[in-house]
Amino acid sequence: MTPTIAPPRPAAVDWPVMTDHISAAEDGRPQAPAHDETPAAYARPENAPEHDTADIDVAAETETDRRARFERDALEFVDQLYSAALRMTRNPQDAEDLVQEAYTKAYSSFHQYRPGTNLKAWLYRILTNTYINLYRKRQREPQQAQTDTVEDWQMARAAEHTSTGLRSAETEALDRLPDSEVKAALQSIPEDFRLAVYFADVEGYAYKEIAEILDVPIGTVMSRLHRGRKQLREALSEYAAGRGMDVTTTPGKSRKKTTAAQKEATR
Amino acid sequence: MNRHDGCCGAFGEGHLERLYEYLDGALTDEDIEAMRRHLQDCPDCHEQAAFEQLIRSEVRRCCQEKAPEQLRATIRMRMTQIRVTRYG
Repeated sequence: MTPTIAPPRPAAVDWPVMTDHISAAEDGRPQAPAHDETPAAYARPENAPEHDTADIDVAAETETDRRARFERDALEFVDQLYSAALRMTRNPQDAEDLVQEAYTKAYSSFHQYRPGTNLKAWLYRILTNTYINLYRKRQREPQQAQTDTVEDWQMARAAEHTSTGLRSAETEALDRLPDSEVKAALQSIPEDFRLAVYFADVEGYAYKEIAEILDVPIGTVMSRLHRGRKQLREALSEYAAGRGMDVTTTPGKSRKKTTAAQKEATR
Repeated sequence: MNRHDGCCGAFGEGHLERLYEYLDGALTDEDIEAMRRHLQDCPDCHEQAAFEQLIRSEVRRCCQEKAPEQLRATIRMRMTQIRVTRYG
């Protein structure tokens, strides 16, 4: 049992809304954004790279200096970008390619990054844009359309399904699920929801920060997060049930057994 | 019967969403305090919140992959290529 519920994280930092996109060059070469897309007021997080400070004079920097600075500060986040990329591409080879491509673009635009702000969030935004421009348009058009048109009955079904309450048996079942199934459950929810959940849960970003990275309004982030969380919970319950972990037997607090129709509703 | 997504519904429609926002640190101080008090008094919501937090920590724990060793080297190589293209 969890005795206490931890206090919420600090309130969101106030970032200005960015309106421009980082676009992929037609010929495939890295291309600087049309405008200065550097998120000027991305607040510097406590765990920012030590040397990434506001006093760096980008204009006076030689190319060699800049490269050294990029290697020192930006390459620190390769693991994190790779992990996020895995949530996008769903396979390791594409994730590697995506991270490479994003880093190449980031390096080309690095003079536009304002030192001493939030380098990781800046890189995540480039990663997301690279993914949308290079991968999703090519591979995933149908699913993208699908994510914003989840039928009301599906949502109602999901709500009903969770509404019988999550009990300690379910908590135990979740605790015993292997990582591979937690990841599979995450992969099973629509991509737009998944990325919102990823940035919120793994990075602990505030709604505003997620909105900047995904380049959508805050209301959209909240909607995707809420729906994603419900569907993720549902999917995790099904994985637990699928492993024969009986989550229906808590006396007087039974939840419905998973049916084929409900399974379908989570797709 | 209106079950408010499995919570007691103390905060009306959107109760569960409010709980999410509480856990996300997105409520006002006043609302945080109201939810905190509610969680102390309502076992159902307390359990919901605990389960939600467990999901979050599981997701966080499972999404900590290490990039393949050669990826950094490949990135450095491509950075060099950019330089050669630009200045070479």
